[in-house]
Amino acid sequence: MGLAKSRSSDSAAGFSLVEVLIATMLLATALVMLAQLFVLSTQSNIGARNTTFTAVLAQQKLEELRALTWGFDTQGLPISDTSTNTAVSPETPAGGTGLAPSPAGTLGANTDGYVDYIGQFGEKLGGGAAPPANTVFVRRWSVEPLPSNPNNTLILQVLVFRNKERGAANNGAGTLLPEEARLVTVKTRKSQ
Amino acid sequence: MRSRVQSEAGFSVAEMLIASAIMITVVGAVFSVMNPSQGMYRTQPEVTDLQQRLRIAADSMSKDLVMAGSGAYAGGMTGALSNYFAPVMPYRFGDPGAGIYFRLASGATDASDSISLFSVPSTAAQTTIREDMPQPSSELKVEAQANCPPAKTAQLCGFVEGMRAIIFDESGAWDPMVITNVQDAALHMQHKDPLSKSYKKGAVVTMASLHTYYLLADDATKTYQLRHSDGISDLPLVDNVVKLEIEYYGDPRAPILLPNKPLSDPVGPWTTYGPKPPALGVDNTNDTWGAGENCLYAVVSGAHSPRLPNLAGGFGQVQLTRAMLTDGPWCPDGANAMRYDADLLRLRRVRIKVRVQAPTEMRGPAGTLFRRAGTSGAGQHFVPDQEISFDVTPRNLNLGR
Repeated sequence: MGLAKSRSSDSAAGFSLVEVLIATMLLATALVMLAQLFVLSTQSNIGARNTTFTAVLAQQKLEELRALTWGFDTQGLPISDTSTNTAVSPETPAGGTGLAPSPAGTLGANTDGYVDYIGQFGEKLGGGAAPPANTVFVRRWSVEPLPSNPNNTLILQVLVFRNKERGAANNGAGTLLPEEARLVTVKTRKSQ
Repeated sequence: MRSRVQSEAGFSVAEMLIASAIMITVVGAVFSVMNPSQGMYRTQPEVTDLQQRLRIAADSMSKDLVMAGSGAYAGGMTGALSNYFAPVMPYRFGDPGAGIYFRLASGATDASDSISLFSVPSTAAQTTIREDMPQPSSELKVEAQANCPPAKTAQLCGFVEGMRAIIFDESGAWDPMVITNVQDAALHMQHKDPLSKSYKKGAVVTMASLHTYYLLADDATKTYQLRHSDGISDLPLVDNVVKLEIEYYGDPRAPILLPNKPLSDPVGPWTTYGPKPPALGVDNTNDTWGAGENCLYAVVSGAHSPRLPNLAGGFGQVQLTRAMLTDGPWCPDGANAMRYDADLLRLRRVRIKVRVQAPTEMRGPAGTLFRRAGTSGAGQHFVPDQEISFDVTPRNLNLGR
């Protein structure tokens, strides 16, 4: 009887220090892991924003290139815009490359004439081989004649990514990392 | 037995101190992690919402802009609408009635916060006027449509009451209308809108889509909306839009008549852009220009000569400023109620900047992060504005490019 009583009072004595420590550690670990979820959700929101921005910015460059003259004049002779600088806003008629075919590897490295830099609000910061300090996105493009119809048809490619080191993805082959956008289109001369 | 009684005596002071110290440390650590988490818990859904609103704004405007200017493909005058009138306008539909030809965006110099777009959708509802109107008429006598199925007694297929349509002709004149009555067998239609002139035989009547996008910014009620109107219903599209700036870029070259295309050829286009002038010596009695002239071409030393200047050398696009788009020459002429600036026909590309903001309680003081101040005092509850800039090259306005 006495033994039984002492056992029950023993179990009513509460937790030992070690038990409390273990329980608290478990609780803390669980809460920290929960907090990790919020960090994850923030990261994925930032990722979603970057994906949206890169896609829209790539589309914008394609539309700019698409708007350049690549047709026939009133006499039926081909005319091509090879001088417009689309890296600045508003674009200037001279000082750029327009729709001139790009050298090899403009998607793999910042090449003057085939790159522009974008700021926080999607504003253009200009071109050049090195990005200015407040660059958030880098936009590279390439203009290649279609092999089967080099005089009249162009393949336009645009690659947009956040301004950071891309490592082995900078191989010029259009390799894509997460949150980056690459768009391709074809532009052909049309008569009036 | 004694020792067991001792164990029922509870903790010693030292044990209590240690336990409390551990407890306070752990709870403190947990709170320091959970406090920012609470901020994230509140802000992240707003960030998602903000980004989605930005996507919707960009997506819907691109979709309609890319189609702007698509023209009729049946009837007399086929091809892009920009060969006849200006289908993209830097104001809200209906503004010219109030004398507004460029709705300037707040804080901008050459950007508008409104844009109206006309396009002809894929539709059978395309026909032409059968005889000259005696006066600007609400009655449209039209040709039977050759593409109507023979079994259908009604020869006006496609047209229905309540449909939004446009009428336009070769002179650069156009009028929007809403069809109010269709008499199939008699080949008559009626509409309720006043016309700017009496149209001649051959003017095109076609179903048309109107899209007006504009920014509603009302500081009194704190309403900032991107709104869309189709001319009949005007609805909010995206909430909490604090900036909509639309810039216009166009062809710097003056329009010219295509050298190998006689004006008498029934099928256009006859010019690099815009409506064709009447033949030399022929006067369009419906406008105020002289014989052989229209809003784009004067007659100088017996030949057509463009009224619009070359804005720059070469053919690189230039920005069309507010001054250029509001100073004339006016098409079809300065007296027409539906007149538009001839420089609008140069338009080739549109640049749109949109900025969206979070609700008031997620915004801090006005500045770089926030265009309009909010009520949040804590940085962890900040959801900064997001702004995006995109270009659209309407395909039908760039057929020669």
